[in-house]
Amino acid sequence: MQKKNPKIISLTEAVGMIQDGDMLTFSGFTIWRRPMAFIYELVRQRRKDLHLVEVNGGTHTDILAGAGAIKIWESCWAGHELYGKLAGNVSRKAQAGELLVEDYSHVHMVCRLAAGAMGLPYMPTYASMGTDILNPEYDVLGKAGLRDGSHAKIPRQKYRMAQSDFYGPTELIHIPAARPDWCIAHVQYVGEEGTIRVMGQKYSDEEAFKAADKVIVLAESVVPEAMLRQEPERNLIPPYMVDYIVELPWGAHPTGVYGNYEVDGNFIRDFYSRTRTQEGFDAWAEEWIFGVKDHVGYLEKLGIDRLETLRANPGLKYSTKVVRGKR
Amino acid sequence: MMEKQYCQPNEYKTIDLLAVAAAREVNNGDVVFAGTGLPMLAIMLAQNTIAPKAVCIYEAGTIDGRPIHLPTSVGDARCAYQASVSSGLFDVFNQLQRGEVDLAFLGGAEIDKYGNVNTTAIGGYMPQPKIRLTGSGGNPDINALARRTVFIMVQEKRRFKERVDYITSPGWRIPKWPFGEMVHKKEVYGDMFRGGPTAVITNMAVFRFDEEGVMYLDTVHPGFTVDDVKNNVDFDLNVSRCRGTTEPPTRQELEILYQQIDPEGIFLS
Repeated sequence: MQKKNPKIISLTEAVGMIQDGDMLTFSGFTIWRRPMAFIYELVRQRRKDLHLVEVNGGTHTDILAGAGAIKIWESCWAGHELYGKLAGNVSRKAQAGELLVEDYSHVHMVCRLAAGAMGLPYMPTYASMGTDILNPEYDVLGKAGLRDGSHAKIPRQKYRMAQSDFYGPTELIHIPAARPDWCIAHVQYVGEEGTIRVMGQKYSDEEAFKAADKVIVLAESVVPEAMLRQEPERNLIPPYMVDYIVELPWGAHPTGVYGNYEVDGNFIRDFYSRTRTQEGFDAWAEEWIFGVKDHVGYLEKLGIDRLETLRANPGLKYSTKVVRGKR
Repeated sequence: MMEKQYCQPNEYKTIDLLAVAAAREVNNGDVVFAGTGLPMLAIMLAQNTIAPKAVCIYEAGTIDGRPIHLPTSVGDARCAYQASVSSGLFDVFNQLQRGEVDLAFLGGAEIDKYGNVNTTAIGGYMPQPKIRLTGSGGNPDINALARRTVFIMVQEKRRFKERVDYITSPGWRIPKWPFGEMVHKKEVYGDMFRGGPTAVITNMAVFRFDEEGVMYLDTVHPGFTVDDVKNNVDFDLNVSRCRGTTEPPTRQELEILYQQIDPEGIFLS
C-alpha cells in the first residue's frame, strides 16, 4: 500500500473531515493528554451521532455527551478524577435513554483496541469474568438490534466464551477487536515527517493509534524529524501510520500533558458543577465553546497568568506553582 | 524501634484511620495496584513504615515510581517520577493477568456479603438506569486477577446490600454465564483463580471474608459499637468472629501522612 507522510493542516480542516456517525477513539487517560481543542471544535461544528470506543472516558467524553454529539459510547469509565465524582453529562444522557452505553471493563477495552492494532478479530482474556458486564441481558447494542452484521464497526457479539487446551483445559473470553474510523490524539512531539514521540506514561496510545483507520494528531510541538530520529528508541509511531498533523500548543487544556502542563483542576471542577443540568451545560458551552472564536480565543480567555501557573517544571515534568491542596 | 504511640479518638480524622488501616494490609515485598485517593495514601504510608520493599503499580502505566509530590490521579505526571518503567495499560494489565499483582486497593458504591461490588448503575440497568455511575474502570479486572483486594467504602445500609444492583466487580460467589447461576469464584476462573477480596475497610469497621467467601465483622473502629455496624448493613452480618477494636493510628503514622505524604492537604485537608 502506497503510504504518504502526513499532511499538516488546520484544526478546522481536521475536524471538517469527521462525518456524523463516525467511530472515534482518543489518546490519553481520564483527564490526561486528551485532544480537547479538537473536542471543542467538534461541538462548534455541531457533529452528531458519534460512536465512541475508548479505553476510558473523561472530561472530553462528558463535553461531547453534554453537546448531544454521542450516540453510542463503548467504554468502561467516565469521570473527572478528583474534580468531579462522575461524568454528569454522560450520566444524565444515559439515564434519559439518549445515549447507548455499552459497558466493558478496562482490560476488555484495552483488548479491543490491542486486537484492532494487531489486525486480529479478537483478543482472549480472563479479565472480569463472573460480572454483569458479561450478562447476556445487558448486551446494550445487541438489544438495540445493532449486532446483525450490517454495521461494519459493530461486532456480531459483545464477547464470546471460549475454551483452550494448549496447556490443559481452561475457559476464558474472546473480546472483539475495535476498529475506529479515527484516532484523535494529542502528543508532545511530532516530527516534520510524522514520527510521534509520547513522553511519560504511554497510557493506551499505541493501541488506539494502530487500531484506527486514520489518525489525526494534535501536537504541542512539531519538531525537526532529525531530532526524533537521533533517539529512535524513544519514539512510538512511524510517519506512515499518521494521516494528519495539527500543531496546537495547549491543545489538551484543561487536561494535563506530561512535561508541558498540569491538569487545570479548577476549570474541570467548575465544568462539573455547572453542567449537571442541560441548561447548565448549554450556558457553559456558550461561554467556553461557542463564545470563543477558535483555540487562540480560548487561550486568550484563559489568560497568560492561568496558563503560566499550569506550565510544567522542565525537571519535574509537572507544575510546582499550582495550589493543589487546602494547607 | 520507637514505641508505638496511639492517638486518642479526638486526635485523628476518619480518613486518617482509613489510610492507616489500609496501609496495614500491605505485606513487605507486595506488588500493589493502587488507584486515586486513599489508596495512594495507604501504599505510600506502607512503603514508609511496614513495607519498604512494596512496589506500586499505577493503572495508567507507571511501575515502581518514587513520587516526591503526591499524585492526584493515576495518570498524573507525578506517578512517573523516578519510576522503574513508564509504559501503559496494556503492559500493566498483562502483568496483572500473568499473576504479578499481590494486592490492590479498590472502592465501590455498593457491596454484597460475597464482596461483589457495584460502581456502574443504581436502580436497574436496562433499558436505562435510574442513576448512572462512573462504570467499572479496572476494578473488576483487578479484583478478578490480583491475589488479595481491599475495598475502602462508606458504611451505609444502602451500600451494604443483600444484592447489589449491578455486579461490576467479582467477589467470592459470582454469576456463571450464560445462565448466571451463582457459584464460587473458583468455578469460573479455574486455574486462574488466585484469591479475591480479603478486607473491606469503612468509616466504622474492618470486615473480612470466611472460608466460604462470606463477609464477617473483624474489628470495630474506636467510638463505634457492633450494633452501630449492624444497623448500617442490610444483610445478616456475622459478628461472632469480631476481634474487638481497630488499632488506631499512631502519632508516627500521622506525622508521615501529614508531613511527608500529603503536606499540601490534597486528600488530608
